[in-house]
Amino acid sequence: MKDHDDYGRIVIESSVPLSTHVEQHTALFLVRIRASRQFVIRRESFESRFVKSIGWAKGSDYYMVTVNASDPGFVHDHFSLTDPFRLIIDIGPPGRDKGKTGKIQPDPPKGKKAQDPDPPAQKPVKKSAAPGREPGEPPASPPSVPSQGIRTIVVDAGHGGLETGAEGKSGITEKDLTLPISKKLKSIIERNLAYRVVLTRDKDVDVSLDNRAAMANNNRAALFISVHVNGSSRKSARGSETFFLSLNATDEEARRLAYMENNSSEIGEKIGSDGEDDLMMILWDMAQSAFIKQSSQLAENIQDELNSLLGTKNRGIKQAPFKVLTGVACPAVLVEVAFISNPEEEKRLVDDAFQNRVAEAIYRGIANFIRKNPLE
Amino acid sequence: MDTKRLLIVVILVVAAAVLAFVFFRSGEEENTKQGKAEFAGEKDRPSEHPLPRKTVTLFFLSEKDSLLHPEEREITEDPSLVHMAMQTIQELLKGPQNGLLSALPYETKLREIFVTKEGTAYVDFSGEIQDDHISGSSAEIYTIFTIVNSLTFNFESIKRVFILVEGSEKETLAGHVDLSRPLLPRFDLVIN
Repeated sequence: MKDHDDYGRIVIESSVPLSTHVEQHTALFLVRIRASRQFVIRRESFESRFVKSIGWAKGSDYYMVTVNASDPGFVHDHFSLTDPFRLIIDIGPPGRDKGKTGKIQPDPPKGKKAQDPDPPAQKPVKKSAAPGREPGEPPASPPSVPSQGIRTIVVDAGHGGLETGAEGKSGITEKDLTLPISKKLKSIIERNLAYRVVLTRDKDVDVSLDNRAAMANNNRAALFISVHVNGSSRKSARGSETFFLSLNATDEEARRLAYMENNSSEIGEKIGSDGEDDLMMILWDMAQSAFIKQSSQLAENIQDELNSLLGTKNRGIKQAPFKVLTGVACPAVLVEVAFISNPEEEKRLVDDAFQNRVAEAIYRGIANFIRKNPLE
Repeated sequence: MDTKRLLIVVILVVAAAVLAFVFFRSGEEENTKQGKAEFAGEKDRPSEHPLPRKTVTLFFLSEKDSLLHPEEREITEDPSLVHMAMQTIQELLKGPQNGLLSALPYETKLREIFVTKEGTAYVDFSGEIQDDHISGSSAEIYTIFTIVNSLTFNFESIKRVFILVEGSEKETLAGHVDLSRPLLPRFDLVIN
């Protein structure tokens, strides 16, 4: 990837000829590469005014390179050269000089991504579904190493640090309530289930939404539970609800397609291996779409228990495009325990006994879900 | 010599005529293009007769339930989709008139709107929409979908909405709803 005056040029080079297809969805350019075999992929890091990130995903019989342009108004031109095969994609604002693309590329034969057809034991992603413990595939940066055979549940204490979340009349904020509830949930789960629990934070610190999802993926989590308390400008708003991700069927379609054709048990193998940030983020970006059905069941199980244990108003299970859920590669829900903006519920939320009941309810929901959906 | 000079004069006259023609034609084209321009610009339309009005439906919250409630408003009919979209959001920002509740922070201002050929409206708000937001999933969902629903409901050619703050893309408004991609309307949040 290299910037020129008024466009950025991406060169995809391969030692074998490739059949490619380029399409644009606003700022997202998708390059589909037909491939019946494994490729070894090398990438070069880059800085560009025209392209924010480049990632890739693997479909059943193709690879997809995703190029995120810096501006949705950008247009592209592409052409290919042979010996060696190169696909050249120029991205920039409309109305630039067209003649350029006709010229043979002036740039080096070393592209941003080079592919060799021979798969010399460089992490060939095989269809074998054995999750975890493949040689040479350690999780990238888990807070601690999972012990053999024990699965992880990631409990996400919403907000933290400067991100206070919603605020109650008394001045207490969302982040102050999600932490004790999450800690209580951790100890109940670890006491009763053969799972270890990783908290996305165990003190009052900022954790980015991407990192919260990353903790689930890097730990090969079985479940992801995000704990929040709600806020509304409606004084009367009250009750508990459990969310799972809603897919916003626009740009996602293409990405999801590529993803859904994969076996979801492969996800762990493709994520968190080579530490390349934009690669990981792109994959996480799509990850949750493969788990929507399970996530809705998990949400239902948890909501049922909240209803029977808390005596709060049942607001049901709902879908929303929550950022923290989008990249999680396992069943994932976001629990809105009650409304901090409602003075009555605020009082209950700060009460230790109520927090214990919340944790107990979420734990029971999880246990029911696991019972009905035994995890491998 | 003479014939040659005459020829040159003839060529010059023809060239001038052609140029003039092209100039006027392109001027006309420019005008029609501007009429349809999808970018906000200044309006200086002669107002010989009152401009036609268009009724739009806005969405607000109610204390009664956790749904969005419609409220109608009149805006000025305008050949520019962007101008009408901007009027609609301005009306939404003014807040409700019949006892409903606004889901937007009071001081929020609209900066700009543009709409792509594919039907994505980029709606750029001032920083207050984020800085003054009360946070909470519900509050955030309603802030976002009163905007998305109000635009997509009234303008068929707006299919989805990308919300920007101070000209740039944000991850979320207050920690929940993903703003890094365009959003489709959620009419399931509306009463009935």
